[in-house]
Amino acid sequence: MSAEALLFYVFALCTVVSAGAVVLARGPMTSAMSLVATFFFLAGVYALLWAHTIAVLQVLVYAGAIMVLFLFVIMLLSMTEPEPAMKLNVARVVGALSAVGLGAALIASFWKLPTQPMGWAEDSARAAAFGTLKTVGEIIYTRYLLPFESVSLLLLAAIVGAVVVAKPRI
Amino acid sequence: MSPSPVGPYLPLAVTLLVSGLMAAALPVLAHFLGPRRASKVKSESFECGSVSEGSARQRFAVKFYVVALLFIVFDIETVFLYPWAVNFKALGWFGYAEVAAFAATLLVGLAYVWKKGALEWET
Amino acid sequence: MTLPDLTAADLQPVLPALVLAAGASVLLLSEVFLTTASRSHLALIALGSSVLAGGVALATAFEPAHAVFQGLAVQDPFSSFVTVVVCLGLAGVVLLSADFLKQRQAERGEYYALMLFAAAGMSLLAMSAELITLFINLEVLSVSTYALTAFLRRGPRPAEAAFKYFILGAFSAALFLYGSALLYGVTGTTRLADMVGPLRTAMHTQPWLATCALALVAAGFAFKVAAVPFHMWAPDVYEGAPTPVTALMSAGVKAAAFAGLVRVFLFLGRADPEVVALALSALAVLTMVGGNLLALPQRNVKRMLAYSSIAHAGYLLLGVAALFPHPGTGVLAATPLMLGSPAVNSADAYKGILFYLLAYTVSSVGAFGVLSVLERHADGDGATAWDLDRFSGLAQRRPGWAVAMAAFMLSLAGIPPTVGFMGKLLVFRAAVDSGLLGLAIIGVLASAAGAYYYLRIVVYMFMRPAPAEGVLPEKYWATELALVASAVAVVALGVLPGRVADWLSQSGMFFGTR
Repeated sequence: MSAEALLFYVFALCTVVSAGAVVLARGPMTSAMSLVATFFFLAGVYALLWAHTIAVLQVLVYAGAIMVLFLFVIMLLSMTEPEPAMKLNVARVVGALSAVGLGAALIASFWKLPTQPMGWAEDSARAAAFGTLKTVGEIIYTRYLLPFESVSLLLLAAIVGAVVVAKPRI
Repeated sequence: MSPSPVGPYLPLAVTLLVSGLMAAALPVLAHFLGPRRASKVKSESFECGSVSEGSARQRFAVKFYVVALLFIVFDIETVFLYPWAVNFKALGWFGYAEVAAFAATLLVGLAYVWKKGALEWET
Repeated sequence: MTLPDLTAADLQPVLPALVLAAGASVLLLSEVFLTTASRSHLALIALGSSVLAGGVALATAFEPAHAVFQGLAVQDPFSSFVTVVVCLGLAGVVLLSADFLKQRQAERGEYYALMLFAAAGMSLLAMSAELITLFINLEVLSVSTYALTAFLRRGPRPAEAAFKYFILGAFSAALFLYGSALLYGVTGTTRLADMVGPLRTAMHTQPWLATCALALVAAGFAFKVAAVPFHMWAPDVYEGAPTPVTALMSAGVKAAAFAGLVRVFLFLGRADPEVVALALSALAVLTMVGGNLLALPQRNVKRMLAYSSIAHAGYLLLGVAALFPHPGTGVLAATPLMLGSPAVNSADAYKGILFYLLAYTVSSVGAFGVLSVLERHADGDGATAWDLDRFSGLAQRRPGWAVAMAAFMLSLAGIPPTVGFMGKLLVFRAAVDSGLLGLAIIGVLASAAGAYYYLRIVVYMFMRPAPAEGVLPEKYWATELALVASAVAVVALGVLPGRVADWLSQSGMFFGTR
């Protein structure tokens, strides 16, 4: 087993365990912290896939910014209230069934995987360049400059929208 | 030797390992080396010398939410600067103009939230 | 790395969006740096930006279609015309907002800025020819409208509306994004023009995957245009939003979303025209019939107009379905209504869709305008604020408003001599020409049913006595200007559609077609 394969299994196992903790933890804060851990391990998996930009984004945006928002929401709500007891209702049953169904579909798809690795995955030089910040930057700033500038418009609209919606008096 | 996807992360892993060991070693060493004399005052939670009161689990005011939202927006702006920084030389003035237009748009947003008082913690 | 060679000519197609974004920035900065007591300059800046942007779009509308930004966007008469319609609708909505906000002491730069951002997103959406560009611009307009819905949060209803709109909108965005990701996986490109060939192959090699991708993208758009069965959000959101914002939703957002829908499916539909045409036809039938039937029992005029907006999305979908040849196979072939082998004249179908967008924009802005001056803010968000009784005897109290409202209602119902009639005529004719006679007949029957609830308002205005307490307060200069302008447009374009309709049927209307 190569070092990468070993690392993959470590990251994958940790991702599954911490994702399980998100769902099963009793306290909302524990769930949130487990989610941070999940994001970090997922970033490790992305790095193993040569998707370095995604890995960086995962840590900076998800584990950094979006988790801050999650924590704020948890802190906004009172945490001293007793937790509702687990009750069996239709929504829970449907949710559980769809989770099981999705899991089954994903497991079934293993048998449909191509036996040969995809062509360019063997080309290590290309794989190494793919997904780095440099390559992604080249694409964003040359081919995709129109959507890039649109993003600034989107962010500005989001800033104004956040102020309009969240400020009690504007 | 074929390039490894995790190669560039090796220094990071070393740093993590060292800091993790350090973080683990300090309490362990303190546990074994330090004298332990428990008293009532010592077991209280320490809050900059003042007497602590109330529960630590207080609800935050909703005003902080705006700050969190704005943090995300400007964080995403920063994310877009990394790929530019890596390609700074190759992109030259063209890239500079692009990013300047991008940042100018968000500068309008910053000026707006600043003057609007959305960044004030007090109000 | 090769840097793209950008010239001034490349920037010219995005000029309307730049004008709108610049106007929005000026509004934002003036909101915080220019704190004067009078705030009527805000509406003027917004109005000026929208007129300027519309003028720029109109000036470039006759250029031949060409790709810009390395094929990520296209500039064609279709996109320019949609921008013109959006700017027209925006100008009307800004005029309505000026009075509406003043009455509620809520004149803020953010409000107009968000409207201009939304319009910039709409303009860019109409020209996007690549899935990432399309998605980001769709989000620009969506995020702005979510915030606008929550702009006046007085009472639980607007908050509920904004929340519902946001959650369902995010859900539809996720569907669209999932579909886009699958399309990229299937074809290996995000550019619509490059996608056609690989997608056609994939329709045979991986039919399930390709169909799922197309269905997800279609569902995302169906949410945005409020097509049945993805319409559930529309009545609540339309009712809860401030009335001028509702006008923007029904005029601008709908036009832009349809532009995006046409752009995507004209390219992707070539991969398998039959399946796409069948799906669009089914959506059109459901939406035309469902929208009109749901609107029938409404006494709340704002809700009624929301359902009517759904019904109009159905007629537009019929126009989109008419863009594809219907070779007489599939479900509809079993009916005796199908014609033999129709020849699609897509110029007619474009003309129908675009003229209908124009017709619906001017009529609905006018209708919501009358509604916005009739609702009293003292009534808060109570449902009575928009009750049908509000219109009782309007002809005696404000004859001008009543006549204008009657024109808008006739136009929405599709009764001559209004622009709505011409729009329906063009759409139905295009549908018949492309072999959708059955659908056209369903459309005519549905609009006949719809005439009931539109004409009921006219009956209330002209034949019911005015309520005793009916005090209609101050003058509404800006709103009345918008009402006069839209009423004149409704009648003038209904009587003499010639010039505009001719312009819309020019060749090379759409990038990638002859």
